[in-house]
Amino acid sequence: MSKTIPTLSAPQRPSRSSSVRRLRLRLEHRSFRLLCASSAVLVCGVLLAMLFFMFRTGVLTFRDVPVSEFFLSTAWEPENEKYGALVFILGTFAVTGLTLLIAVPISLLAALFLAELAPQRLSRVVRPILDLLVGIPSVVYGYMGLTLLIPALRAVTGSNLGDGVLAASLVLAVMVLPTITRISDDALRAVPRKYVQGSFALGATRFQTVTGVILPAAGRGIVQAVILGMARAIGETMAVVMVIGNTPQLADSLLKPTSVLTSNIVMQLPNVPFDSTWNNALYMMGFLLLAISLLMIGVVRMLQKKGENAA
Amino acid sequence: MSQAANQARRTALRRSRRADKAFTAVVWSVGLGCVLFTLALLGTILAEGLPGLSWSFVLGLPSEIEEGGGIGPALFNSLYILVLSLLISIPLGLASGIYLAEFAPDNRAIGLIRICVEGLASVPSLIFGLFGIALFVEGMGIGLTIIGGAVTLALLNLPLLTRVTEEAMRSVPPEYKQGSLALGATHTQTIFKVCLPAALSSIMTGISLTAGRAFGESAVIVLVSGVSTSGLMWDFDPMSPGATLAVHLWYVQSEAIVPDAADIASHAAAVLLIVVLLLNLLLRIPIWWNARRA
Amino acid sequence: MKWFGKMTTITLAATLLLGSYSGSATAAASKLSGKIVINGSSALLPLSLQAASEFKKLHPKVRISASAAGSVTGPQSVRKGIADIGACDWDASTDVPGFKKFDGQVANKVAVIPFAAIVNKSTGVTELSTKELQDIFSGKVTNWKEVGGKDADIVVVNRAFGSGTRVNFQLKALKGTDFISKGDNYKEVKSSGDMKTAVETTPNAIGYIDLVYVTDKMNAVKIDNVAPTTDNVINGKYKVWSYGYYMTKGQPTGATKAFIEYIQSAKFQNGSLKKLKFIPITAMKGE
Repeated sequence: MSKTIPTLSAPQRPSRSSSVRRLRLRLEHRSFRLLCASSAVLVCGVLLAMLFFMFRTGVLTFRDVPVSEFFLSTAWEPENEKYGALVFILGTFAVTGLTLLIAVPISLLAALFLAELAPQRLSRVVRPILDLLVGIPSVVYGYMGLTLLIPALRAVTGSNLGDGVLAASLVLAVMVLPTITRISDDALRAVPRKYVQGSFALGATRFQTVTGVILPAAGRGIVQAVILGMARAIGETMAVVMVIGNTPQLADSLLKPTSVLTSNIVMQLPNVPFDSTWNNALYMMGFLLLAISLLMIGVVRMLQKKGENAA
Repeated sequence: MSQAANQARRTALRRSRRADKAFTAVVWSVGLGCVLFTLALLGTILAEGLPGLSWSFVLGLPSEIEEGGGIGPALFNSLYILVLSLLISIPLGLASGIYLAEFAPDNRAIGLIRICVEGLASVPSLIFGLFGIALFVEGMGIGLTIIGGAVTLALLNLPLLTRVTEEAMRSVPPEYKQGSLALGATHTQTIFKVCLPAALSSIMTGISLTAGRAFGESAVIVLVSGVSTSGLMWDFDPMSPGATLAVHLWYVQSEAIVPDAADIASHAAAVLLIVVLLLNLLLRIPIWWNARRA
Repeated sequence: MKWFGKMTTITLAATLLLGSYSGSATAAASKLSGKIVINGSSALLPLSLQAASEFKKLHPKVRISASAAGSVTGPQSVRKGIADIGACDWDASTDVPGFKKFDGQVANKVAVIPFAAIVNKSTGVTELSTKELQDIFSGKVTNWKEVGGKDADIVVVNRAFGSGTRVNFQLKALKGTDFISKGDNYKEVKSSGDMKTAVETTPNAIGYIDLVYVTDKMNAVKIDNVAPTTDNVINGKYKVWSYGYYMTKGQPTGATKAFIEYIQSAKFQNGSLKKLKFIPITAMKGE
């Protein structure tokens, strides 16, 4: 779909520019700007409140557990007062990484298909259908993973269970696919047509135009799409918990039941005493989850900046 | 030009043509693959849920014992909570997105704000749920309510809306803005009359994504609004317990004892899909309207 | 949208007024009003929801909201004061393995919940002894042929720590033996529904569940040659069951008291409760 050029509502009474009117406009602008700024601050405030909320309880963990044990030990046996969270931290990285490895190339190609190659009539039908996928509750994804994907994995690999990093990543990849695809698709379509036409006019093939012109121009939006997809993958809980196996052990194979930060929190938090070290450790893991995603976002942003400077 | 150079050029050209063909083939197959996969996924859900679906199920009251219970109050709560949360999140999300795209100076502090917003997008819904409990159930002591769930959901949706709005505003061609400013419009007028309409399509994508996500969210609602409904249809009281359709689906799948639990779950999933589809269409109306007016 | 905002304010004010009356419900039954928040065990949730909808027909002014996260959430929410009733699968006013008692709380019996050990049909196993169950769930026995089945690895499906079903199964069926917690053929699930699906669809799996959820797509095994049936629970032969409790802060009062009395009444116990396949508390005369 091409961008529609909006009608410019021409200034209706250009001559009557009294100082009162100018003052009113300036005031209007000022207050609007203030309104927008305070909204932005509020959004950040929510995050900070959340960080504080998790940290306040989480930090109490370290009264009873050495910091080194929490971060470096793989022994999570709260019954025996062992609180090593390394399994879950590594699990979160592994699942998120694998999910992106599967989902990003496919989503990008799908977005290119929708934005550039497919007949627009088809794209216009497909887009709302993709949006539909976002609305499917994660429990449905989890249930389908449990009843369709895992038996299939079992049949293909011959393993006894099928739960694990691979199953979780595949389910998550399906879940983030529409998000990444649709936002990239929007970014691709926002690339000014004259760039594309210019490239074609210079005799570039479609492949060259896409890799040389369209992708770089839409880079910012695509990074945005990947970040949002990654964010959802890190934070998704209800679906992951149904297919990961929920066992606090290091996954040395893609098919071994393991656990990630979110799944461990949701499995155990409802069942632990409020003021226990265990409860605190789970909050610390929640805080960690936030910290990890902030870190990953920071890294992506830095890489992006480096890329821009190099180009 | 020497013959060798000519030859090399022709080879390069042939190679780039071949690369182009391969690329086109790959994009087409992946694109069609995705479309087919999506259709298969939706088809599975609909095929299991549509047969036997009736109005008495969609609008009926749920039952714990006998077969034939409906999902009426849960469906109503879903829509009610969605509307309440969008009423909060759309103005806030749009305003902060506009701020980041239009007003914010390009400095470190703003960079930090941006990372904050993205970070918030990755907060697991579970943590929003805990936050909601701390705020509404413990802090205000109002129990499990619709309003608590709606506000928590709005917070959950804020970052995505903010980011999408910012991106959409940024991809409005600068000429539009310059043109408007050159005609003497103020910055605020330009934003409302030029940038927002031009960015509408992308913003609507964002809103339909968040609406869909809010509709399917269960972790937050279970914690903040509860698993029960008031048991009445059309209960507009925001202090009622507010189990939504997604929560009901979760409940039916994980704990319910009714003999037709599996049927209820697949019917509910199908209804959810259809409602999200209708919502998407509804949200597209402004785009069409805008396109026609232009 | 103005009407909408107006309405919201009005209802908000109305409910605040209503809410402030909670606890002071002393009037005649039909004028009973107040707010009851139930949280805790998910196994008791269907019961709570059914009772709530029946109770609300009798006392339309009482507002009941129910949610569930896990058994221990019940007494904890009661202690924190964010719930009036904490549903729990064990008597939380006493110590159980893993959980200290909650002082000052009263345990109100509301139902009898039987539990069953379940296996996937492919195992062909229909009977296990207590010793065999202990060995399987503690990881000593890892192949079905050691307990009379075919030659295949045993896949153990467990509930998360703190699940009421797990506490009771460990206490009553395994006589306190510890569970394994690791391995290639071991997984934990979050809810009864997940347990059902996992054991139904995973070849060679074993797990345990409330008897209510047992379907014909799985085998509920006889333990020491006693089949897990309602009759065997009532006549005392089958030992793997427990009471379900509503924990309250002190003796219940007002609307909460009336609600618990309704659940314990013969009408509900022999009516809806039985239809939900729980066992009435009065049936357990031997205890």
